[in-house]
Amino acid sequence: MDMGLSRLQNAVVDMANLAQQSVMKAIEAYAKGEKITQEAFKRSNELSLLASEVEELAVELLARYQPVATDLRFIKSCLEIAYGFSRFGRYAYDIAQVLEVYGDLSECDKSVVQDLSGTVTRMIQTSIQSFKTRDEKLARSLRNDDDHVDKAYLDYNRELAKAPSIPIRCAVASLLVLRYLERIADHACYIGDSVIYITTAAKV
Amino acid sequence: MLTHNYLAETVVQTREKAEGVESLNTKLTAENLSAGFGKKKVLDSVSIEFKEKAVTAIIGPSGCGKSTLIRCLNRMHEVTTSAWVTGQVFLENQNVYDPAVDPVSVRRKIGMVFQKPNPFPTMSVFDNVAAGLRLNGERDRKLIARKVEANLRKSFLWEEIGDRINESGASLSGGQQQRLCIARALAVEPEVVLMDEPCSALDPVATAKIEELIIRLKETYTVIVVTHNMQQAARISDLTGFLYLGKLIEFGPTRQIFENPHNELTERYISGKFG
Repeated sequence: MDMGLSRLQNAVVDMANLAQQSVMKAIEAYAKGEKITQEAFKRSNELSLLASEVEELAVELLARYQPVATDLRFIKSCLEIAYGFSRFGRYAYDIAQVLEVYGDLSECDKSVVQDLSGTVTRMIQTSIQSFKTRDEKLARSLRNDDDHVDKAYLDYNRELAKAPSIPIRCAVASLLVLRYLERIADHACYIGDSVIYITTAAKV
Repeated sequence: MLTHNYLAETVVQTREKAEGVESLNTKLTAENLSAGFGKKKVLDSVSIEFKEKAVTAIIGPSGCGKSTLIRCLNRMHEVTTSAWVTGQVFLENQNVYDPAVDPVSVRRKIGMVFQKPNPFPTMSVFDNVAAGLRLNGERDRKLIARKVEANLRKSFLWEEIGDRINESGASLSGGQQQRLCIARALAVEPEVVLMDEPCSALDPVATAKIEELIIRLKETYTVIVVTHNMQQAARISDLTGFLYLGKLIEFGPTRQIFENPHNELTERYISGKFG
């Protein structure tokens, strides 16, 4: 079973790297106004396929070895974490699609998106690192960053609700991207929760 | 016959019961129980409470004292030459090692089923179940017949072999023989049923039937099962105790033991890292 667990860990880490790359490219492309929809779509599909592979491997390990304790918690968590990484890919694709739908946004102020992108990128890195090292403390730290992301997203909503002075297409595009970033941050937290579950069995 | 829905139901019942298991009454208690043979100590100051109408599994590697523990509970251990026991065992408030207590009456109240099915080979199915009743002085034939049928039904045997009760017990399949032994143990109306690896000699289908039976038995009896099979302990028990080198290392609700054992040794054993 140890070999199987190792394969599972590697498969999830591969997903983590691809998911991180996917989100970072989408954010960068949005900032620069580059259209990468096809590329993002391909990566999202790839992540979905990898999530299916993780699922198959996990089910095989469950069926063959009936694992218990830490091994069982690890396998259960890998299923959830793999799903989280596949969502990263999907949101990266959604971010890429904003440019596709709204066209050139070079006249829009993207500073709020750029500010939040930094935090969300850090959260992705933290979630991956906490999984790789099974670092409970690191995993718990994600919640603080998530509070910051939630606040920034809500603040922007409130600002728009008050009669926005910015063009509507810029407002909606930013709001959509912020929404996707906020969801990515949530999934980073769920990954952290899974790491906490692996290490302590506590359900956060 | 087993059905999918029935099994699903029993699993849920087991889980619900496990979650509330701490509120159950204590039926049997071992206090500072040590036991051995001659100079060899097999069991070392074990204290454990067995809950009423719950299944408790005792797990641990070979030679850790699992069988000795349950054999001490109904004073079966002492029948072996050079065996010794210290400490106390209480069946509710009665110390079963009190000199005034008759060991035979203890064994009637705390029945036992062994690893290898051991029906009396020269007796019919009927007589196997009736044997304990007759030994206890029961002579009423109608009552004996009723009790034999009731206990064969309880053991899920009546539907399978109700028309063969006059045949030899030895003619049954291994799984049926084991259920016959359970029927025989139940016939004398014990309060606690001890099972020492009851499925280790059985195929998966026969094992599933015994496991289903164990889950049903806890509606009436306190059941204590020694098993080498970790998955079996996880499937059927409400509480699990892990023994290692004669000591009780960890004891708790089965779900906690298998999902989040608190002791590193337990974790390593149930994960197959040693043993």
